[in-house]
Amino acid sequence: MTEQAEQDQAPEPAADAGADGDAILAVRDVAKHFGGIHAVDGASFEVRRGSITALIGPNGAGKTTLFNIVTGFQRGDRGEVVYDGTSIFRRPPHVIARRRMVRTFQITKALAAMPVIDNMTLAAPDQPGEKLTGLLFRAPAARRREKEVHERAHELLDVFGLREKADEYAGTLSGGQRKLLELARALMVEPRLVLLDEPMAGVNPSLGRKLLDHMHTLRDRDGVTFLFIEHDMDVVMAHSDEVIVMAQGATIASGPPEEVRNDRAVIDAYLGASVGT
Amino acid sequence: MTPLAVSLDVFGSLDFWIGVGLLAATYGIFTLGLQLNVGYTGVINFGQAGFMAIGAYTMAILVVEAEISFWLALPASIIVAMAAGLIIGLPSLRLRADYFAIVTIAFAEIIRYTAVNARELTGGSQGIGGFDGAFLDLSDLMLEGLDSFGLGDQFLLPLLIVAIVVFGLLTVGMYFLQRSPWGRVLRAIREDEDAARALGKNAFAYKLQSISIAAALGAVAGWFLALNLAFISPTQFDPLFTFLGYAVLILGGLANYFGVILGAIILWTLLEGLRLMDLPLDASQTAALRYVLVGLVLIGLMAFRPQGMLGKRQEMVLGD
Repeated sequence: MTEQAEQDQAPEPAADAGADGDAILAVRDVAKHFGGIHAVDGASFEVRRGSITALIGPNGAGKTTLFNIVTGFQRGDRGEVVYDGTSIFRRPPHVIARRRMVRTFQITKALAAMPVIDNMTLAAPDQPGEKLTGLLFRAPAARRREKEVHERAHELLDVFGLREKADEYAGTLSGGQRKLLELARALMVEPRLVLLDEPMAGVNPSLGRKLLDHMHTLRDRDGVTFLFIEHDMDVVMAHSDEVIVMAQGATIASGPPEEVRNDRAVIDAYLGASVGT
Repeated sequence: MTPLAVSLDVFGSLDFWIGVGLLAATYGIFTLGLQLNVGYTGVINFGQAGFMAIGAYTMAILVVEAEISFWLALPASIIVAMAAGLIIGLPSLRLRADYFAIVTIAFAEIIRYTAVNARELTGGSQGIGGFDGAFLDLSDLMLEGLDSFGLGDQFLLPLLIVAIVVFGLLTVGMYFLQRSPWGRVLRAIREDEDAARALGKNAFAYKLQSISIAAALGAVAGWFLALNLAFISPTQFDPLFTFLGYAVLILGGLANYFGVILGAIILWTLLEGLRLMDLPLDASQTAALRYVLVGLVLIGLMAFRPQGMLGKRQEMVLGD
């Protein structure tokens, strides 16, 4: 009875979304250089649990490299990344993803030669059938999990309007649909934090709006935190709770959108500061 | 006789088809491993002949030198081959696919040269024999049964039956393994390793498993090769045989285990048919002609049906 009641409410702890303002992700003084180029050079910021946070900055500011370091795809030279109370700095990507932090990529990585439904079911965590020993010794559990996962996948495909595409190859989807699929797939991981690398790039405005709506719904209903890289300032100003600004590898400002918009350093970074001051 | 007369009598003989069947089953099992690596994991393995050699030699040496039971030597040879797969994979599977391919071909050559030079163990280029006593006992038993069908004089028929059963079971087994969540992760790695890792899959561990299972399949193929000839020598593990496996793979189609069966039968019918057909050519010319024809078939296939006979064209086109 009580369990039922709990399930009827938000399945994730949405209550603490933004309530106490604690950080789900803390990046401290992270640096990464490639030869003589300091791609990231002392980036520090926090992402508040339950927020939609935008990461902006001119091209070459190090946003994607920072994403890669946070998600384990590149090893940072120094610094610290704390996610949900534990350090994930220099941990491999699959370990980080299993802690329910998922990312998407700037260039969509839909698994083109796999059906849409397989893209979705693949992402589900805790499938014993993904291990050979699990297949041998836990076959019934694997089958049960597979059924759950298929149901969840179809639900999400419904939400994202991809239901009728379920059995088609992901490669036949349009660019915008692939972005939606990638987000839907990320949600299959049951994430607590989702990092989106330019989710709006190459997406037509109506699909883009859909994507943003999903983001708000997921945050409000499930308490999912979002950190996204975006170049479209209208989107950033209208849809984010907080904005982090990077320039030349370092974070130069952070705060609510209206505050950041008027920040002297930010204006300089975008419009070019006078040299030598 | 006109100089262009070609006799097709050979295709009517049972001996011929038993021979083709044995080769097709042996290299079919061999190619199941390549299918797992190349077709489903996106890992290019050019060293399958090396794993086959490890399987065959381990079995033979354990029986002949260590005097272990043949039936125990079989699983032992699988374990050794799988361990070799791990040893090759551990340092090199993190490399890009093309570098790994180079490592595997070097590995297979190291195994072959070791077989040539470790004479006390392997008999060097003289080869090694006398390991199949236990199997021949079983074979004789089967021949007694076959005698009632008037097939008691087909000496290789029992081996063919065993090979076909094993090939069939392994094909079906691999098919179901591929349909499992485990197989789905492999395909995701084939498509995009980073995407799989971003979704919490340990791509490296899966690639290691893929190469070890392929090594095990190579070892099983090695047994049948050894039993077929009752003898093994290093020339049977030439890199050429890995590439015949690839010919089977391409003929049958990537990412389809049943294509391996079809490809293996067609390739070996062609190769053996041309060898034994009564062509108005001398032996060296026929030998060359075999591979010319296989080449032409492959070129034709690439032009008109690049996905192979049972491969899926969409998967080929969409997979970047």
